[in-house]
Parts: sequence; C-alpha cells; structure tokens
Amino acid sequence: MALAGNANVGKSALFNQLTGLNQIIGNWPGKTVERAEGTLHFAGYRINILDLPGIYSLSTFSMEEIVARDYIAIERPDVIVNVVDASALERNLYFTLQLLELEAPIVMALNQVDYAARKGVKIQTEELSRSLGIPIVETVAISGTGVNELLSTVVEVAEGKIPLNPLKVRYGREVEENIERLERTVKEMLPGICQQYPARWIAIKLLERDDNIAEKVRAEENGATLLALADVIIEQIEQLHGEPSPVVMASERYAIASSIARNVTNVVTPPQVTLADKLSSVTTHKIVGYPILVGVVALMFTVVFVAGDFLIGLLESLFEETLIPAITGILAQALSETAVELINKGLLSGVVAGVTVALPYIVPFYIVLALLEDSGYLPRAAFLMDHFLHKIGLHGKAFIPLLLGYGCSVPACVGCRVMETDRERFLAGFVLVLIPCAARTVVILGLVGRYVGIHAALALYLFDLVLVFVLGRLAFKVFPGEPVGLIMEMPPYRMPSSKNVLKKSWGRTKEFIYVAFPIIIVGSLTLEFLRLSGLIWPIVNSMAPLLTGWLGLPLLTGVPIIFGILRKELTLILLTELAGTVELSRVLSPIQMIVFALVAMIYVPCVATIGALAREFGWKRAVAVSILDVLLALFLGGVAYRFLLLLA
Amino acid sequence: MEVQNRTAKLSEMATELNCSVGELTRALEFAIDEGLVERSDGTLTLTDKGRMQLQEHRERYIHDRHGHGLGFTGRLTKILEGTVRDWRTHWRAKHGFDDSSVDDFYRGIRNLEGHVEDTQNLTSLQQGEKGVVVFAFGGRGLVRRLAEMGLTPGTEVTVVRSAPLRGPIEVSVRGVFLALGYGVASKVFVTRVGRGG
Repeated sequence: MALAGNANVGKSALFNQLTGLNQIIGNWPGKTVERAEGTLHFAGYRINILDLPGIYSLSTFSMEEIVARDYIAIERPDVIVNVVDASALERNLYFTLQLLELEAPIVMALNQVDYAARKGVKIQTEELSRSLGIPIVETVAISGTGVNELLSTVVEVAEGKIPLNPLKVRYGREVEENIERLERTVKEMLPGICQQYPARWIAIKLLERDDNIAEKVRAEENGATLLALADVIIEQIEQLHGEPSPVVMASERYAIASSIARNVTNVVTPPQVTLADKLSSVTTHKIVGYPILVGVVALMFTVVFVAGDFLIGLLESLFEETLIPAITGILAQALSETAVELINKGLLSGVVAGVTVALPYIVPFYIVLALLEDSGYLPRAAFLMDHFLHKIGLHGKAFIPLLLGYGCSVPACVGCRVMETDRERFLAGFVLVLIPCAARTVVILGLVGRYVGIHAALALYLFDLVLVFVLGRLAFKVFPGEPVGLIMEMPPYRMPSSKNVLKKSWGRTKEFIYVAFPIIIVGSLTLEFLRLSGLIWPIVNSMAPLLTGWLGLPLLTGVPIIFGILRKELTLILLTELAGTVELSRVLSPIQMIVFALVAMIYVPCVATIGALAREFGWKRAVAVSILDVLLALFLGGVAYRFLLLLA
Repeated sequence: MEVQNRTAKLSEMATELNCSVGELTRALEFAIDEGLVERSDGTLTLTDKGRMQLQEHRERYIHDRHGHGLGFTGRLTKILEGTVRDWRTHWRAKHGFDDSSVDDFYRGIRNLEGHVEDTQNLTSLQQGEKGVVVFAFGGRGLVRRLAEMGLTPGTEVTVVRSAPLRGPIEVSVRGVFLALGYGVASKVFVTRVGRGG
C-alpha cells in the first residue's frame, strides 16, 4: 500500500498512525529522495506501507515526482491511498486526476475534515466518491479518526470486494480527440512500453512534453516516428490555444478538478479570519516579521545548546565513569595492552565522541526543527529570507539547510533536499559547509573568545558570514544553469502533534547515526593507529613549513589540526592536551589563536560531513569541496597572519 | 486597436474606445490607407500587416514594462538599449529567454484577447487586489511549474501580501496560499479585476 498526495496534507501523520514504531526511513536506491516504509498487521494481513514523497504533480520537475510515478506505474502497489486535504480540495484533486490517469487502484483518504469544518467547509463525500468512482474515507490523521475504516476499505479493495470504477478523465473536445489519436498510435507502434505504463497516460505525457517519457519512447523501436507525430499534434494544440501544450493540459485538468470540487463543496459558514491567519500576517510582516524570525532562531539555538550541554554532561559521566572502564576491563583480560589501547582510543573514543559530542546537539536540533516544520513556521521564514538568499543564487527555502548548518553540517547536507534542482542543492551544500557548526563554535568561543576577547570571536563569525556570501556569489557564477525562483506553498499554522515530532526526529537521528558513525569510527581507528605506530610524527613534520612558515603556528598544532578532520572539537581538546596546560595563552599568542581558529573553521569539513556530502552529491564533488576548503583555509590563514602582524 | 474574436458595430466600438463614431471612422480610414485594415462586404478586418503591427505593439509594450520596469533605472537601461531591430536576438541576448520561450510568448500575445495595456505584472498588484492570469513569460520549466501549481490562464489570483524590497509575494489561488519569489511573480501577467473583498 502506498500513500500519495500533496505536501502538507497530513500524509506523514497518517503514516505514523498506521506504522507506529515499525518504520524504516532510508533512501530510494541510488537517489537522494527519502523513502519511508513500515508494516502493519490488520485483518489477518501483513500490509507493507510506503510513504511516497509529497508532490503536486507527476511531471518531471523533481526527482521526487519521477520516483513516485515510476513506483506507482512499474511496481504496482496493491492499493494507493490518495491523501487529500479537505480544505484545499480543488488543488488536491488535480493530483488525484493524475493518479487516475495512471490507472492505479485508489482509495481516497479525505483528511483534515475537522479543520475544513472549522473553516465552514463541508464536503459531500458520497457525491465525490460517485464522481471519481473510487471509495472515499473521511479521516483526521492526527487523532486517528477514520483510520480503521480506511484500512478495512483498503483491504476490501485489495481483495476485490469493492469494484473500482474510476473516472475516465476526459479533456476538452479537440484535446481529447488528439489524445485518443496518439493513444491509438502508441498502442499500435509501441506495445512494449504499454506493459509498463498505460497507453493513454503515455500519450498525455508526450503531449505535455514530458522529457522522461520522451526518452523512454525514443529508446523503443518506432519511437522516433511516434515522437514526430506527437510534435505535430503539440504544434496544433499550441496554435489553437495560444499557450504551451503543457499549460493547456494543466488548464484543462484544473478545469475538471475545479468543477468536481465545486459540485461537492458546501460552504456552511463564510470563511472567517482565524487566529492562524492573524499569526501568519504577523510572522511575515515586512517590519515585525524579521525580529520575530531572529527571536525564533535565537530561541532555537538557546534550547539546543542548553539541552545539548545538559546531555553532554550526562553522557560523558556515564561513559567515562561506567561504560568505558567496564569495557576496557573486560577486553584487558583477552587482549594485549596495545590492542586494548587501540580499541580504547580508536574505536571507543570515536563512539564516545559521536555520542557525547554530536548527538546531544543533534537530537534537540531535530526536535526543534520538526516542531517548526509541523507548526508551519518554516515557509514563513523562507518567505522573509528569499530576497537575501537570491544574492547567492539560492531562494528562500535554502534558509533551512543553512540554518541547520549552525548546528551540524551533516543534517544540513541532507536538508539541502528541500531545494528542487541538483544545482541548487549542491550550491546550498557547498555554502553550508563553511558555516561554523556547533563544533567549530566550541573552538572559536573556547579559544579566541576566552583568551583573546569576545570581540575577536564575533569578528571571526562576521568574517565567516562575509566569506559565505562571497563564495556563494562566486559559486553561483561558476555553476552553469538557471537559478530557480521560489514557488512555495504557505500552509496554515497548526498545532504540531508531539507524536509526529518525536517520530520524525527519531527517524532522522537514526539516519544520522547510520551515516556518521561508521565514518567517525573508521577515522578514529586510523588516527589512533597512526599515533600508536608513531607514523603521525613524520606527517606532522612534513607539514612544518606550511604550519610555521606560512601560518606562523607552533609545530604542536599539527596534531590537533590533523585530528580535527575527525571531529572539529578535537582541535581544541588535543591542543589543550598537547600543550600540557589549560592556560593556552602560554602556548599561543593571540594572533596565533585567531589564525588557528580561522583555519579550524574553514579547512576540510569533518569526516562525517564529507560522508554526508558524498552521499548527497557524489564522491567527486565531496572531495573537490574538501580540497577547496583546505586550500582556502591555508590561503586565508596565511594572509590573516600577516595582516594581523601588521596591525599589531 | 483591439482585437476581439467577434464582429462589432461601429457604434459599439466607439463606445468602448470612448470616442465619437466620427473620430473612429476617420481613424479607420487612415488605417485602411496604411494597409492595416481592409474593407470587404461592408465589414472591416485586420490585414496581415495590421496583425503584425499589433503583435509588435504588444511585444514592445510587454518588453518595456516587463523587461525594464517603470522606474528610473528601467528607463535608463531602455535608453541605453537603443532601438531594437531584431527582437528575437534581443530577447535571447539581453533578457535571457531562449527561442522556445519566445515562441510561446509570441503565441500568447497573438491570441491575447483585449488590450495589452490592461495587462500588468503580478508584482504591480497591491495587497488585497485581484487579477486574472493572462499568461506567463519565462523559461518553459517555470511556466509549466506555475501552471501545475494552479496559475493557468484565466485563473483568479488574489494578492495576500508582498514582502519589502522586491521580496516574495503571497497569493491566494484556487483556495491555496502560495509564496512566489519576486522574479517569478514578475513573469506572470494578469488583468486587474477590481478591489478585493
């Protein structure tokens, strides 16, 4: 069973209701599109449920749309549940009509009927069911109302007990004639492709200038002839209507959706301005909106850091006082001392670092993010930030991954998926690894902030923002392609449900662990091995000219910088250890501290981030970004050193 | 001149153009002399030359309002551009629209009903005002996405709010609220419907 529908209709709430904790969140093979699956036992059946991405159309604008339509057409789930928002019926029906055109077995879940009722809208469900020819169940996913009925209906459809008589979507007369003509030709000439997709659907897609289908048709025998015919028909349609063919098709489909929706919608009370509407006005207000945004972000960070610090304290004592001694004790009885040390410092400390340093910040971050998402605030933030983000070739939605970058670059890289195109995603990813994450903040504040002064620390932050801006603009010029404008739905404000928030956060935390931990552990083991075998010293010595000559840093900073590749906090921690003192001002001059922090801030992203970059954008790009950042850090570090010397 | 796909009496036309029948007749005689209008069987119709002139007029109008805007910088860039001779190259080189987008544009304005002067950018609508979408002039992907989100020709759009300094505008269309970036919204052309309420 697959859940399909627009974004913001309560699809994931329904998914959570159905699957509870039996969820697996991963990716579609080979693609950066989230795939959420779960199972449920009902009426003696084991139902596999797949939550398809929230999409508005089955065209080819985004990977999400292609993944969804290929899944529906080729893998043929037994039943598709089309989750529809009752308060936005016309727009949702546009998608329903597209599902019907794919000739899939559909049951509609008419969701958020409670919200629609509050807005004074009542849908005649019986009539709608008749018009569309599919069974409809009213649901309120957040509370679980109607879910059982939905499941029984789904089972009955799968068993064949409810005959489906789906509406055959008919367009305006001459468009319809053209579709049928092309459909006949498809059936005649390309019987092979008709095994995968319905012939009529192929005809419609070709007339919509769908690139993906055109490619598939071209690859078949007789494909080129068919495409030529399609082109002729497209030309006719465009001449007649004066609009591009895809627009004609969309218009007609909307006309059908509109008339169906109007037929079954009763406005019981006239729409009133609700609290949610007023809140929306205030939070996007041209003057008041921005301070509110700053306030929300500040609150977010405060919560995350306070919760994070608290968790770190808890976990550190847990590990250091209880777990690690216990584990090393057990191991010491079986293995040699060096082996134990290797495992201790390498494996265990890697795990400890991941757990005590990364997770305490990430988990609260995810929770706060889910709250902001579910409440509907994020689109408002994107609305306010859109104009500024245009300067670096991104649009409002990029605000989210960039904001995430202040916590940790790993979820921020995944967060780049909100951008629609590859180019936008990579641009956002490239920019966000330069943003100081929590780890780098620890270094800046702990070193420069503490010993040089808060002004210097703030100056570093500011410099970083400038750097992000400048590099963003450069990257924008360098990467070919058209920047995409913002087209984003503004969903109404809603109370987030705690169940949903927790489930989402847990799912994402799990994913973070799967991505980051293996890499951290491997990196940690490698470094520990280098240290124990003594190989670390030749490496550090080879860095000497760069380190002392160009950057003006003492040689002992070499090890922290290398280990910083594993986790950025280690730069500060190891520096303190190696210096043998907590009074770092005895070891480094203020200028050296600033240079050190600057380099730590910009040079190679931590291994977990490189892993995330590789997963989202491919290894080539991940390596390219890492190398670029190292070179940039070295360059800026050296320049800063000389510049600061001049100032002093 | 206006093009509506129906025949009208001279008196009707005069009322709509807000002039006297006498003035209208004189203008039409002039148009006939110029070869823009022809007379046959007592009815006057646009010639091909007339149609082309209309097309150019519309193109120029949209170019001046959309490509350059009405402010000072807009006028300045327009003056610097000079007279455009080859429109297609101009659209491609100076405004970044590829050939297929320009084709779509030409087709759109050819089939436009009513005055091109009645159309305006979505961005020029004030908060609370309504408009009906006429067409969208931009890259094919953008036009298509707008259509899929509900902004098809003939659809009514209400401006809910606009952000400052060329920020995005929020519109209500088909019962849903959409935020459109300024660049996106400026590519959507509407005719105003009258104050919202």
